[in-house]
Amino acid sequence: MAKRIVVDPITRIEGHLRIEAEVRDGRIVDAYSSGTMVRGIEKILKGRDPRDAWAFTERVCGVCTTVHALASVRSVEDALDIVVPPNAELIRNLMFTTQYMHDHVVHFYHLHALDWVDVVSALKADPAETSRIAMSISHWPRSSTGYFSDLQKRLTRFVESGQLGIFRNGYWGHKAYKLPPEVNLLGVAHYLEALEWQKDIVKIHTILGGKNPHPNYLVGGVPCAININEENALNNERLSMIKRLLDQAKTFVDQVYIPDLLAVASFYKDWGAIGGGLKNYMAYGDLPVNGIRDTSGFKFPRGIIIGRNLNEVLEVDGTDADQIQEFIAHSWYEYEEGDETGKHPWDGETNFNFTGPRPPYEQLNVEGKYSWLKTPRWKGNPMEVGPLARMLVGYASGRDEFKEVIGYALSQLNVPVEALFSTLGRTAARGLETKLISGWALEFYDQLINNIRNGDTRTFNNEKWEPKMWPSEARGVGLSEAPRGALAHWIRIKDGLIENYQMVVPSTWNASPRDPKGQRSAYEEALLGTPVEDTEKPLEILRTIHSFDPCIACAVH
Amino acid sequence: MRYHTYLSPKKFKLMEKIRRIYVWEIPVRFYHWVNMTCIIVLVITGYFIGNPPAIQSGTEAYANYWFATNRFLHYVFAYLFFFNFLLRIYWAFAGNEFANWKQFLPVTKKQWNEIFEVLKVDILQLKTWSFESKGHNALASFTYFFMFLAFVLQCLTGFGMYAAMSTSWFPQLFAWFIPLVGGDTAARHIHHILMWVFIVFAMIHVYLVVYHDYVERTGVASSMISGWKFITGHKHHD
Amino acid sequence: MYEEVLAKGYTRRDFLKFCGMVGAFLGLEYSGVGQIVKAMETKPRIPVLWLHFQECTCCSESFIRSSHPIVADIILDKVSLDYTETLMAAAGHQAEENLHATMENYKGEYLLMVEGSVPTKDKAYCCIGGNSAYDILQEAVAGCKAVIAWGNCAVSGCVQGAAPNPTGATPVHKLVKGKPVVNVQGCPPIAEVMAGVVVYMLTFNRIPELDGLGRPKAFYSRRVHDTCYRRPNYDAGLFVETFDDENARRGYCLYKMGCRGPVTYNSCGVIRWNDGTSFPIQSGHPCIGCSEANFWDNGPFYQHLASFPGFGVETTADDIGLAIGAVTAAGITAHAIATNIRKRKMIREGILNPEPEHDEDDQK
Ligand code: HEM
Ligand code: HEM
Ligand code: NFV
Ligand code: SF4
Ligand code: SF4
Ligand code: F3S
Ligand SMILES: [Mg+2]
Repeated sequence: MAKRIVVDPITRIEGHLRIEAEVRDGRIVDAYSSGTMVRGIEKILKGRDPRDAWAFTERVCGVCTTVHALASVRSVEDALDIVVPPNAELIRNLMFTTQYMHDHVVHFYHLHALDWVDVVSALKADPAETSRIAMSISHWPRSSTGYFSDLQKRLTRFVESGQLGIFRNGYWGHKAYKLPPEVNLLGVAHYLEALEWQKDIVKIHTILGGKNPHPNYLVGGVPCAININEENALNNERLSMIKRLLDQAKTFVDQVYIPDLLAVASFYKDWGAIGGGLKNYMAYGDLPVNGIRDTSGFKFPRGIIIGRNLNEVLEVDGTDADQIQEFIAHSWYEYEEGDETGKHPWDGETNFNFTGPRPPYEQLNVEGKYSWLKTPRWKGNPMEVGPLARMLVGYASGRDEFKEVIGYALSQLNVPVEALFSTLGRTAARGLETKLISGWALEFYDQLINNIRNGDTRTFNNEKWEPKMWPSEARGVGLSEAPRGALAHWIRIKDGLIENYQMVVPSTWNASPRDPKGQRSAYEEALLGTPVEDTEKPLEILRTIHSFDPCIACAVH
Repeated sequence: MRYHTYLSPKKFKLMEKIRRIYVWEIPVRFYHWVNMTCIIVLVITGYFIGNPPAIQSGTEAYANYWFATNRFLHYVFAYLFFFNFLLRIYWAFAGNEFANWKQFLPVTKKQWNEIFEVLKVDILQLKTWSFESKGHNALASFTYFFMFLAFVLQCLTGFGMYAAMSTSWFPQLFAWFIPLVGGDTAARHIHHILMWVFIVFAMIHVYLVVYHDYVERTGVASSMISGWKFITGHKHHD
Repeated sequence: MYEEVLAKGYTRRDFLKFCGMVGAFLGLEYSGVGQIVKAMETKPRIPVLWLHFQECTCCSESFIRSSHPIVADIILDKVSLDYTETLMAAAGHQAEENLHATMENYKGEYLLMVEGSVPTKDKAYCCIGGNSAYDILQEAVAGCKAVIAWGNCAVSGCVQGAAPNPTGATPVHKLVKGKPVVNVQGCPPIAEVMAGVVVYMLTFNRIPELDGLGRPKAFYSRRVHDTCYRRPNYDAGLFVETFDDENARRGYCLYKMGCRGPVTYNSCGVIRWNDGTSFPIQSGHPCIGCSEANFWDNGPFYQHLASFPGFGVETTADDIGLAIGAVTAAGITAHAIATNIRKRKMIREGILNPEPEHDEDDQK
């Protein structure tokens, strides 16, 4: 008999996620993923000014903050046929890259690391050995024996206080932890350093968008005006601060994140064969360098891989009603035309229909509806989205940059390309794309400076700002790549107001319940076959689920 | 004159009955004209606060202060408006019968009848003969009652908002009102809408005053200056 | 602590037994009872439970951006953050056990921090571990010392509470009885404000002075407008007329772009964001009033005045007022014309109050 285990709350994620898994003979044989909180933001958007939508949708999530704002302004610009000036595109790209660097680093160190790093074991480490390891993998200056031994003393004091706070009751000592104490100590050191670092990188958002989390966006461009001779605008001082922060970020990614990632991964190569899940990957692509319409210029290419076939990249079209559809057969919603039908987001509906057990409950009724997430499909197929999908699409599209970083990681770890289709591969892909992005960010910066030097300081297109310039009816789609994967917003505008607004979010693709045909989405599929050493301490479930970097506020919205 | 030939002897008799009566004492008249001045200034300065014109771009901030001056004027007249209003409230208890607060609350059957009469005679013009009141007619009083309420609301929202930008004790007395309406934004909105209420009221009010003068020759327009009105006394309620 | 235990008539053996039990709770196999004893004999850090309900987690995100004090120092040295879904190592049953351990072991002593609103239309709109947000909140409030409501969600319902508020998102203070609630406004609140409130409460062992809406006066007593560095431009009547115009490039006042600074209470102009780097207005975007209740429903962001309810986009009180004014003028004109026709005799005769019968006489 299989044993049903429930992990709720899944912690170190954004949002309220519940996993129910059937375990037989130490392996997961079936799994159910449920989002247990809903807000109804799509309902709230109806009837509002489309120019305000970015602010509402940005509040879908404070972790991937900005990405919904970006998808939103793009959807409105698409509907109203607004072309933003090149500087606006570059500034948006700088915000985008900043978001990725922040989000991925925080995910790796603060949300994911404790699945691999045993904090308590670090107390037994020899700081001198930690120092030696640190210097062997990186030039990062904070690597002396004294540094690590001070840190160890602080940690010891903390543990001896008897109040372990956020570290209380972790799965410390679990057999699945494989790192030697010295590497664990290194992990703890960088956990704290990353906590310090992350508050600096977001200052780029603060300069360009006024604050973080939740920086400001603008339909038609960006709100910050450029004037290098003015104290009150984006001037030289502000620009050089951005440059310094980007340089620092790149150094951190190169000297801390990537070496740590590879060091930790080298102890967990078995996870290169666990948690692969779905065989289909999708990326909308992003980081335009020549306008949003020129998809060939995207730094992240657009495309679909089916059946892990890296020799072919299919096309994806957000406006095609037969390609992207959302189902609710197992979601707590109802559709006017019946719950088995699929809906393209332009015609999407969000009508609550809770049929689950009344709280407090022990178990969900997984035969019926069991989640607040809808279930998106591409031509009826479940898709995995996210860093792995992006890296694979880049790789399969034959982009050299992608091939280079992937080749580098595979050779460092000495694993075959198939190892990418796994929990470990997902976590690695996130680091590798951060490396690419930290370089691209500096390119965008240079282009921006170049434009300003050439006298182009435009940041906003005013032509269609006034609603009287809009057609009485319009519809648009804003495609983007959020840190967690392919993100899109669909909007319908009528008489200057939002008539319908639908978001299909990366974590919706990955974390959704099954579709009417019974096909699992990415989380559920990836859990199949995952070993569970101790059903009381399902550390392995956390590893695979965390490798997706769940965001359930996003997924449900 | 040509028109006099139309006068019947009966009418001449009627005219003989005309007498002057003193309705508006000095405080009422004073109140009225100060109030009118305040409202005109407050509407103009308030409108600019809500819709500043696009002028003077390209100059340095230190060289200008017009917008702050505009707001300053708004606040000065706001104080005047408020204390003038207090004076009128006092006079509603101390003044003559025409100034009394009871004038403004239609609580008696007689007042309600008069309201309908005036509606028929002046507004809908179902009847051509005129209805005579010594003080305000009941309909006018009733509208003034709502105006006075609007004045109160305008002061509550105005001084309530002002509390946030003033260190003086006086506006702080109104600070409690803002959360009650749901915050500063709501207060501003109400404040702004009331401006239009005053504008529309003033249009109708001035028209009707002129109308009464023109049609009935009671001297009502000048009564707010002199205090005296002309009546025949044949059809008014004592 | 040990002295206190002895004073209550317990023996040293009882005390050690208690420490052993706590050790088991902590899930620390290797840690000897000795360490716990030592810990218990020193003053414990204040336990903190951080609950997550209908939220976007940006308040947690903001909190970890704090620069003074830095957040690592807060969670390692100042408080014992025993529960927060965003950062805690434990998950599932172990996470819930942490929550309950603190609620039981530190009854009356722990600080309760809440991020997110609570749905009241149907409890099932937000559940954690099979329990509703509503029930979890009530259970945790019962034994807490004080409540800190983080951000606009917990203070006033924020975006999910915007019309038509489909889930009945309700702020924390409306659901908490008998405990002080500190409302730390903002979407999210500024990191240093969040840290500042926590440190204040730890240092002075009392809640900070609050305004009428329960917000700490130290951070929410001034309007953004009154501390805005663009204020001289406002006073001079120098306004941005459209984004990226000459005036925008000179950093003029954003009032006409819909800036809510004049109606928003927050310290953005003083503390600024992310270690004092900037704030919305400084970066060229008007304030949207994110620290005010119902700011989502206070009209379109890029309009000074809210649209008039029931009329289309961009229809303000001014448009309606102007229309009513025009209608009134037309009405007056019509009335004046009608009067001159209908009452022409009276007007001609210039008679004061003719009696009705006379009218009929004249008709002949
Ligand atoms: C007839 C009476 C009044 C009228 C027509 C009037 C009109 C206005 C208008 C249209 C605004 C602009 C609102 C906006 O769109 O933001 C305004 C603002 C204001 N009014 Fe008045 N107002 C009147 C009386 C008062 C009074 C009695 C006060 C008391 C102090 C007052 C204080 C204010 C304040 C504080 C503001 C906001 C100014 C700012 O933020 O700079 N008003 N008024
Ligand atoms: C902004 C413009 C004005 C406002 C807000 C206003 C307001 C008022 C108010 C509140 C009253 C009641 C007074 C009381 O009982 O204390 C009143 C009465 C009166 N007003 Fe005005 N007034 C305005 C302009 C004028 C003008 C321009 C005239 C004359 C040409 C005028 C003539 C009168 C007269 C004759 C009365 C008494 C008449 C009656 O009882 O119907 N008003 N007004
Ligand atoms: N899923 C998701 Fe997001 C991301 N990345 C958004 O689009 O996290 Ni909050
Ligand atoms: S207050 Fe704003 S920032 Fe904080 S959780 Fe709510 S939506 Fe997010
Ligand atoms: S920008 Fe906004 S807050 Fe600043 S002075 Fe202008 S209106 Fe006030
Ligand atoms: S939008 Fe919010 S961040 Fe400050 S400037 Fe306005 S209160
Ligand atoms: Mg959706």
